[in-house]
Amino acid sequence: MNDATSREHMMELVALYALGVLPREEAALVTAFIANDSAAAEEYRALRAGADALAFSAEEPVDSGRSARMKERLLARVAHEAAARGTTARRRGGTTPGWLLGTGLAAAAALVFSVVTVVQDVSLRGDLAQAQQRAASLTAQLAEGERVGQHDRQMVTDLVASDARRYDVAQGAVVVRGDRLYFALSKLPGLPKGKVYQAWIMPKGAKAVQPSVTFVPNADGIAVVAVSSDAAKLGAVALSVEPEGGSKAPTSRPTFVRPLS
Amino acid sequence: MDPVVRLMERVRARDVAAFESLYDSYHRLVFGISLRMLGDPMVAEDITQTVFMKVWTSPEAFRGGSFVAWVSRVARNRALDVLRSRGARPESEFPADLPLDGALDDEVLERLDAERVRDALSSLPAEQRAPIEMGFFGGVTHQEIARQTGTPLGTVKTRIRAGLRTLRNRLGEGVPK
Repeated sequence: MNDATSREHMMELVALYALGVLPREEAALVTAFIANDSAAAEEYRALRAGADALAFSAEEPVDSGRSARMKERLLARVAHEAAARGTTARRRGGTTPGWLLGTGLAAAAALVFSVVTVVQDVSLRGDLAQAQQRAASLTAQLAEGERVGQHDRQMVTDLVASDARRYDVAQGAVVVRGDRLYFALSKLPGLPKGKVYQAWIMPKGAKAVQPSVTFVPNADGIAVVAVSSDAAKLGAVALSVEPEGGSKAPTSRPTFVRPLS
Repeated sequence: MDPVVRLMERVRARDVAAFESLYDSYHRLVFGISLRMLGDPMVAEDITQTVFMKVWTSPEAFRGGSFVAWVSRVARNRALDVLRSRGARPESEFPADLPLDGALDDEVLERLDAERVRDALSSLPAEQRAPIEMGFFGGVTHQEIARQTGTPLGTVKTRIRAGLRTLRNRLGEGVPK
């Protein structure tokens, strides 16, 4: 399969993804493709709008008896829920231990990491079947639960959004949307054995960078990584090659340094 | 501000009247999607309840854009859950939260109606319309569509893409602003 054929095949998968008929493992592959290809993102948005409109064709007149019955049931549940919510709020007042909140945040962070791993590990331009196998092996992570799906979708939403700010670097782009900052890179050189890429962040007004995530791109040099959820406070980001496990300060010449201005 | 977005802001503030107004406007759509996908009016009623309870209990889940597109997706996903629970149905991934800042914008989407979409859909060649409807309302993957229709997989992909493009273009034409 040459590059042009492969790309055309991926564009067909974008259509299937927009319609919602793609199995999960292939959906992960397309997600990464869309994030790195502006034409694919545009195609996705257009076809997705067409797919969303399909729902209108199903609108049905509902007879007045059924409609009234459904509404009555619903409003009774709403009233019950509102009453239960009031009771719960009174019970909770001032008793939630701080460590419980911390546990929840840690779990959320772990889920975000698993999603990043899935997305960065799929191949966009290599052998499709091989990429699908690798993506399939990560399907279990995608199936971890609704929260994973939400984070995954949030990342794609941010990467393709028209209001996202993009800062070009030689290897791809740094993408910022709201407080979230991502590296969407597609031309990363291969790593020597025992090395990883490490992202660095520099808060505004700071004189030194701080360590962020480490990652390994796929065989095609592609990586999509969530770097920070506090982008508004950052003045610059950077990338360097570091020993596995990461470093506290850069130990090699930066792959890139990108001011966010 | 979009009237529906204003209503959702009031729902966030626990305004039952605003919630009732949303229900009155959109329950036929939610019920219709569920009925079309599941074929059982009682189950469709239950899904309609579930969807609107989500609107009431988690209004923050709607993060802007087209409300009608969002609520349709929620309904479809709930119906897919039921379909999956009924048997070993291949699991397809339906992207649920991406914004629609594409060419068929939110305002246009809000102004579409059932008749207009049905007209656009029926104008597609049958070989394009069938796999699109099977996929959207049947909750099956493209492989399953190919198997059920006896059509080569590559042909199914090409037809779905062409059909969706045509549909999007027809729906974008001449919609009143």
